[in-house]
Amino acid sequence: MTKVYSRVLTVLFCLFLGGLLAWHLLLPDRKISEGENRTLAQFPTFSWKALADGSYAKDIEAYFADQFPMRDTWTGAKARTEQLLGQRVFHAVYLCQDRLIAAVAQPDRALVERNLASVKKLSERVPVRIGLIPSAADIWQEKLPAGAPSWDQHGLLEQVKALGIPQIEFRPALQRHRQEPVFYRTDHHWTTLGAYYGYGAVMYALGQEPLPKQAFRPETVSEAFYGTLYSQSGVHWLKPDTIEFWVPEDGLTVTSWRSGKPQPSALYDRTYLKKKDRYAAFLGGNQPLCVIENQNAPCKEKLLLVRDSYSDALAPFLAQHYAAVHLMDLRYYHDSVAKYAEEQGINQVLVLYSIPNFVTDRNLVLAAR
Amino acid sequence: MVFSSLTFLFAYLPITLLLYFVTPQKARNLMLLIVSMLFYAWGEPIYIGIMVLSILIDYVHGMLVEKYRADDRKARWFVAQSIVFNLLLLGFFKYWDFLAANLSLLLGVSIPQLHIPLPIGISFFTFQTMSYTIDVYRQDAPAQRSLIDFGAFVTMFPQLIAGPIVPYRTVARELNARKHTVEDFACGARRFTVGLAKKVLLANSIGQLWEQSLMAQDAGTLTVTGGWLGLLAFGFQIYFDFSGYSDMAIGLGQIFGFRFHENFDYPYLSASVSEFWRRWHISLTSWFRAYLYIPLGGNRGGTAKTLRNLLIVWFCTGFWHGASWNFVLWGFYFAAWIILEKYVLRDVLEHLPTGIRHCYTLFAVFVGWGLFAIEDLTKCMAYLGVCFGHGAVWSDADGYLLRSYAILLAVLVIASTTVGKRVWERLPMRVAEVVSPALMAAGLFLCTAYLVDSSYNPFLYFRF
Repeated sequence: MTKVYSRVLTVLFCLFLGGLLAWHLLLPDRKISEGENRTLAQFPTFSWKALADGSYAKDIEAYFADQFPMRDTWTGAKARTEQLLGQRVFHAVYLCQDRLIAAVAQPDRALVERNLASVKKLSERVPVRIGLIPSAADIWQEKLPAGAPSWDQHGLLEQVKALGIPQIEFRPALQRHRQEPVFYRTDHHWTTLGAYYGYGAVMYALGQEPLPKQAFRPETVSEAFYGTLYSQSGVHWLKPDTIEFWVPEDGLTVTSWRSGKPQPSALYDRTYLKKKDRYAAFLGGNQPLCVIENQNAPCKEKLLLVRDSYSDALAPFLAQHYAAVHLMDLRYYHDSVAKYAEEQGINQVLVLYSIPNFVTDRNLVLAAR
Repeated sequence: MVFSSLTFLFAYLPITLLLYFVTPQKARNLMLLIVSMLFYAWGEPIYIGIMVLSILIDYVHGMLVEKYRADDRKARWFVAQSIVFNLLLLGFFKYWDFLAANLSLLLGVSIPQLHIPLPIGISFFTFQTMSYTIDVYRQDAPAQRSLIDFGAFVTMFPQLIAGPIVPYRTVARELNARKHTVEDFACGARRFTVGLAKKVLLANSIGQLWEQSLMAQDAGTLTVTGGWLGLLAFGFQIYFDFSGYSDMAIGLGQIFGFRFHENFDYPYLSASVSEFWRRWHISLTSWFRAYLYIPLGGNRGGTAKTLRNLLIVWFCTGFWHGASWNFVLWGFYFAAWIILEKYVLRDVLEHLPTGIRHCYTLFAVFVGWGLFAIEDLTKCMAYLGVCFGHGAVWSDADGYLLRSYAILLAVLVIASTTVGKRVWERLPMRVAEVVSPALMAAGLFLCTAYLVDSSYNPFLYFRF
């Protein structure tokens, strides 16, 4: 080994390590990561106790990793390398040509039983219909890499049948249209088109006629939507998704209970179209309770949706028919569902969850209260 | 702290290198001691006390052994004291719960389990310090008079937590006087990068395939193919993980002017199980050979005694790897192969074509990984049961896994052989000098990408 060559290697090694350290030190710390949708670890405050039990060291490591320069770029580089090596799954998300599909893990059987039992209990107090929405891993099964493991969601629907609660048939409705873009390519939600077919299934279940597609005028509101799967996978080379609004806001009054008090809200919160989480433009994202009222509705009945975020895109359609659509999110709403329905004079409760959420949800047990 | 972490690579290491090399030659052992203590204290600060106690006791015993050399009985007594202390330390922290659980079962009494976390690297540094007093007694090395130098030897961070086990005699001279050259630095840095890449890019990646097999077993969908694929993955994972760590240790050692002995020598190229163990974790097998097998009499006392000695050594080797029955079983499993080779297969093997001998060795070793990898014996046997035909032969999921990991597996197979080394040695000097920095840059870049990615933790808000 010649001296020059040794010097080159030595300088390279030291520059790489020292350079990134210097960069890290000079880079201002970030509070949140948009890409990961979470707050980032900050430099921990020192205490002798934390030092002694080792938590100080752990916090420093978390801080160092969270504030590392160009996190997203490194992650993207890793995903690219893995792809070159023939890997098809990235942080539990399958890359299927031009789209991402989240793998569904084998759920905890006891939790599934408990959730089903909770819905059953609720149905003994108020009229309930249950609608479980299969995720893309089921509807687009044939798009998954051949043999790629993903839990069989169909089996759950059979289990639901055994409950004896009227079901909303989302699966056949979406399957009929599986050649169309019913799910986003970079997000786990259904598209407005998917939600429209879902709306059809709900209407049939309630014995009503849905409006035809021609009745709506889709408006493209964003062509730069990079969804949750984009963030989760690190696969950063796909084209962004497009978000459409189909239902006009006219004549609808939306009220949100974000902090325990009613506040006027909107069907669409367009400020989210400039942020990372663009799907939250539907109804303005997560909230305990939201009510959409339509004074000109042909049907004077009220609906209560006990739901997850899939209903954000679905509710605007239902609001075309019903005088009031109440959306309740059990993650934030911790009172009795049956009591709420009684108080509001609602005699139709729809339990609407995407299957991956339903089998992992730990708040559904509240529905039985 | 582990080498394959962002904090080590981009905070601890550059700062340590800077501090070490601006320190005057005379004080470098002290600096090495200080930074190594910090390294050790990082994860479990309270255990630094054990480390200091261990250093003091072995330091004093080394001196005592040398002082009373003329009186062999006394010298032996001090060696014994040091060994007992180290074994008690190891026994208490590593084996107490295991012994308590099993004795409770056996005797029908209730001995409390303590569930204290294992001090990092205790299996390595107790063996290292034991070798010190024995080496001094055997006059393989003089006792170390400087407490600082001795402390630097015991705590030296490159080999502190995952070996290789560095016997005192092999570094005694370098500890007192060593040179630091830019060639050593470059060689060491290169070796370190190779080790890092083995650990981060290869071992961690193939580890996911092993996880898939375990998950398939839990779901009841494991097939014969999937079972063997899993064993293959685990065998690669542990080899590239462990030899990667050894490479990093050897490389760092070289940067600081030490030459540690090699710990792995392409073990998967072995043509017999005995040969495998001469090429796998060499520092451990040679430790047991030098400090246990030979003192027991080795193979010089007739067949019965040799068998006894082999069984003792392999029991210890297995048990050293972990306080669990599967490791004991794993040790005896290899004892059985080695005894078989020694007394029965030797003549047979010699006449077999090399290819078959390699296959036989790999079969024995990879089945062994099954015993090693799954601590729960019932689960372990069920897993091996599937491998040996208790289940479907093939499923679509196997095809998916094979397609996903084919390229990586090919890389691992090649990396387990000397192909890369031979190509490298044939490269003209000029080419090597251009390629090497490029490879190092690429290696460091990719390792950083993989390490950042493993800390990448998107909040899965859609899970709700």
